[in-house]
Amino acid sequence: MGTKLPPKEANQFKLIVKSYETKQYKKGLKAADAILKKFPDHGETLAMKGLIMNCMEKKTQAYELVRKGLKFDLSSHVCWHVYGLLYRSDREYRDAIKCYLNALRIDPQNQQILKDLSLLQVQMRDTAGFVESRRQLLTFKPNHRANWLAFAVANHINGRLDVAAKILSAYEGTQEDESVPDGEKYEHSEMLLYKVSLLAEAGKHKEALDELSKKQARIVDKLGVREQRAELLHLVGSNEEARSEYEALLAINPDNYKYYEGLQACMGLKPASDGTYTPEQLQRLSDLFQGLQEKYPKSAAAKRIPLDFLQGEEFEAALKPHVRRFIRKGIPSLFSDLDPLYDQPGKADIMDRVFTEMLDSIRSSGKLPPLSDTSAEEDKENPSVLLWLLYLMAQHLDRRGKVEEALEIVNEAITHTPTLMDAYLVKARILERAGDFTAAARLADEARSLDLADRYLNSEAVNHMLKADQVDLAEKTAALFTKHGDQHENLFDMQCMWYELASGDSYMRQKNYGRALKNYLALHKHYNDMVEDQFDFHTYCLRKMTLRAYVATLRWEDHLHAFPFFCQGAVGAINCYVALHDRPVVKAEAKEEEKGRMSVAEKKRLQKEQRRKKEEEEAAAAAAAAAAAAAAAKAAKKGGSAKPVDTDPDGVKLTEVEDKLSEASKHLSLLLEHAGSELSSLQVAFEVFSRKKKLLLCLQVVRRLLKEHPEAPLTHSCLVRFFLTVRDLPPAESESDKIVRAVIDAERADLGLSDDLAASLQQRNEAFLEAHKDSLPHRAAAAAAMAMLDTGLKARAIAVIHESEEPLAKSGGALAEGVGEWSLDECAAVLRLLQEGPLADEAGAQRWKDRCAQRFPYSQHFKGSKSSVKAPPPVKDEGEEEGDEGSAAGSAARANGVVE
Amino acid sequence: MAAALATVAKAKDGSHVSLDGVRDKNVGQLRKLNAAMFPVKYQEKYYSDAMAAGEYTKLAFYSDVHVGAVACRLEREAGSGGGSKVYIMTLGVLAPYRRLGIGSLLLQHVLGQCEAEGSGVREVYLHVQTNNEEAIAFYKHFGFAITDTIKNYYRRIQPPDCYVLSRSFGPTSSFQPNGTAAAAGQ
Repeated sequence: MGTKLPPKEANQFKLIVKSYETKQYKKGLKAADAILKKFPDHGETLAMKGLIMNCMEKKTQAYELVRKGLKFDLSSHVCWHVYGLLYRSDREYRDAIKCYLNALRIDPQNQQILKDLSLLQVQMRDTAGFVESRRQLLTFKPNHRANWLAFAVANHINGRLDVAAKILSAYEGTQEDESVPDGEKYEHSEMLLYKVSLLAEAGKHKEALDELSKKQARIVDKLGVREQRAELLHLVGSNEEARSEYEALLAINPDNYKYYEGLQACMGLKPASDGTYTPEQLQRLSDLFQGLQEKYPKSAAAKRIPLDFLQGEEFEAALKPHVRRFIRKGIPSLFSDLDPLYDQPGKADIMDRVFTEMLDSIRSSGKLPPLSDTSAEEDKENPSVLLWLLYLMAQHLDRRGKVEEALEIVNEAITHTPTLMDAYLVKARILERAGDFTAAARLADEARSLDLADRYLNSEAVNHMLKADQVDLAEKTAALFTKHGDQHENLFDMQCMWYELASGDSYMRQKNYGRALKNYLALHKHYNDMVEDQFDFHTYCLRKMTLRAYVATLRWEDHLHAFPFFCQGAVGAINCYVALHDRPVVKAEAKEEEKGRMSVAEKKRLQKEQRRKKEEEEAAAAAAAAAAAAAAAKAAKKGGSAKPVDTDPDGVKLTEVEDKLSEASKHLSLLLEHAGSELSSLQVAFEVFSRKKKLLLCLQVVRRLLKEHPEAPLTHSCLVRFFLTVRDLPPAESESDKIVRAVIDAERADLGLSDDLAASLQQRNEAFLEAHKDSLPHRAAAAAAMAMLDTGLKARAIAVIHESEEPLAKSGGALAEGVGEWSLDECAAVLRLLQEGPLADEAGAQRWKDRCAQRFPYSQHFKGSKSSVKAPPPVKDEGEEEGDEGSAAGSAARANGVVE
Repeated sequence: MAAALATVAKAKDGSHVSLDGVRDKNVGQLRKLNAAMFPVKYQEKYYSDAMAAGEYTKLAFYSDVHVGAVACRLEREAGSGGGSKVYIMTLGVLAPYRRLGIGSLLLQHVLGQCEAEGSGVREVYLHVQTNNEEAIAFYKHFGFAITDTIKNYYRRIQPPDCYVLSRSFGPTSSFQPNGTAAAAGQ
């Protein structure tokens, strides 16, 4: 303790603490000032005053006061604790931990500090520290159940599963009475199941099973027990028992895929690592599922799973009744259900045959074909059967790459029943895949207009609009489903990430980097919030005893940054920063120079104009701010909390950060840590590191690419680019430079590149081209490398691209036989290559564009003859009617262009 | 994507038919349907009348697919009598779904509403082109009778004349129909 205060002041100090706890901040401040008048150097009072200031949103003063207080009283645990609280409130957990540790050194018996510390430690995954804190807390209060469990969990996440299990057993030993009070039955049951899962995770399956049998009566989660037992029985090799347990579970829920998997596993019917089965396995599987289908005639899973493993004729025989069941019921999701089967060799062709047969038969006779040669003729079908068959067929043909045929069929469906929204969405999807985003957006909006209360239709329309870069329209449309129409705020609050990602991508395409960044950073913020949100669970889960869920949550949080949305957002943000970094900055000097050349009159006019412009801008900004403030006040009045006004709606400030590359690096480090083997991660990593001239980091990326994606075009380009940089380096001067060069040299030799880098890179490039001469992306990468290595070879490089021939699909694959295999994205990437960089060539780009326009007639990007851009948007009389479907988007949507 | 549906019945082939009201959120479906079935372009007034008619305007869903509709206008009569008339503006079913009894279900629904106690409806009437024999037979089957002929009622189609078909409701009138469906525009 620091300086002793006289009794009167000591009481006042207690008042400060009490005022802080009861949030009577003004009262607390008053008391603090009263003490400080007499004892201006009293550290703890200064610290407490700072803490209160912090709660009153006066951060800088708060830190000043607390640090000053600490300076006067370094040996006070109060001061350190307060300092820790301050850091914690700013989410600076590492610094907070240090402060708490200092506080504990002074006052090791303080359980409150210890508890706070343990929360921070688990949040930061300082698992060893967490174990120690929980151990101390347990020794202080061994009669608390929560302390035992927390100690066990701490050991669990620290990887000491055996210790954790022992702790739980020890705790059970302290409970003399076997009976559990009624109010604690669930908690007790959770603890028992947690222990079983601990043992199972530790690989002690037998013990886990025994434990489960012994405690079964007291576990209230009856289904959980059975699932756990079935799994454990299989793991200890009692497959017969496991099998009957899984069969019993299937009787409870015959649509749980996990039960089927379990059943297969304990019958020795698991596929090999490449997903295939032996003929003997196939026969048994087939028999097994036949029995299950008879036993559970209503189970969808029992009917769908065989389609995965059956082949050839058997597959066809199983597919037919499956499809007609869905078609007759009019279930729109049939195609999504079958979609994964297209990637299995041969199945797409069979589906093609089956669907065509059904469609032909319905068209000619109104009946479906008989299931087999021996089965009786079918009855006449309902008129909606044709509709749903057309609907399926359109999606099927699109999946097979037959755009024209797919459009023809979907148009037939729309003519047959023009009120079916799903058909418009399918048509939108076909056109989107074919590259006509504007027409797709228009169609999706048409579907939306049929049911304005349908959020799914709204989201689909918004998604298509964003793909078509109609961001304003998309914003207005999305706002129809937000609270008070307060669009962005609301979508952000709801963490609507697909929207932010699509919106960011659209702004990126339009080179509006400010707005793009705003969207991408919003995603980043959501993930930060998710990490932050777990803080509450550390206390909550231990109190509520949901231990299994708690450990699962912690593990989920650990992998949060590997989720696709996060990665895509981070890649987007990094690409933004890189583009901003590369963007030539208009130098202020150049402007000045220009000014110097102007006459006096011109200068005056310019100044006047600038002043007027500035005034206008200011007036507009003031008006906007006032409006926003008024809106906020209004919202506050309504009872909602006033939101801070967004002062940078266009993200201009974001684009003006000084060091763009170091901003990018912040995102990059998380990306590389959690999704470091993804191509997209490594690509942006190379872009950032090469611009920062970090040779070793670039090398690391190249090595990683070689390891994870040895054949990828990106790997080749990065390797060439890297060694080209090395070739052109000036001789190393500093000692450290020399070491770096030595490392690179060793690596070079390891990759089989000789001293004469230019020659051996060229050799490597030729070999690469030869090895992948049938693949467009590889040819493009080789061509770019060729021109980079020797500008004299540019013409030849461009020829390499133009000489590419599109491979045609062979039978058996997802694409129909004879359909070209190039994708729109690949071809667009090649066009970019011919437009900028070492291969930039106007005539060459135009030639490629023309070729692609032929190949992709619906593509807007290549200005294909059937795309919306080419034809002027016709004024259709369909739209002549007044009124616009009660939506903000109605009239604008009509500008979307042609559909057919 | 089908809305929560109110009335449920069976079509002739045993399929499930349900009726749903028209609101500003789903009126787009009625527009789509009319554009597909009738040569006439309907004004906004038509749609506001249809929605204002409440239970007298219905969309028909056949196996959850929207295939038909009846749209009426309520006409309050002037004077102290207090009765009202129902004017059937359109009644129609998409071509592939005809002959399944869906039109009859829609008309029966309207007639049922008229007959319901306290509806205050004295008469239900509509216009049919004079050569549309199928439609005339359909309505006659449901107790309608030709009460008038209007010359040159239609402007762009031949023949331009129409009949007025109507049916009155007295305290004792009740009729058990069993008719066939057909598309019949105004």
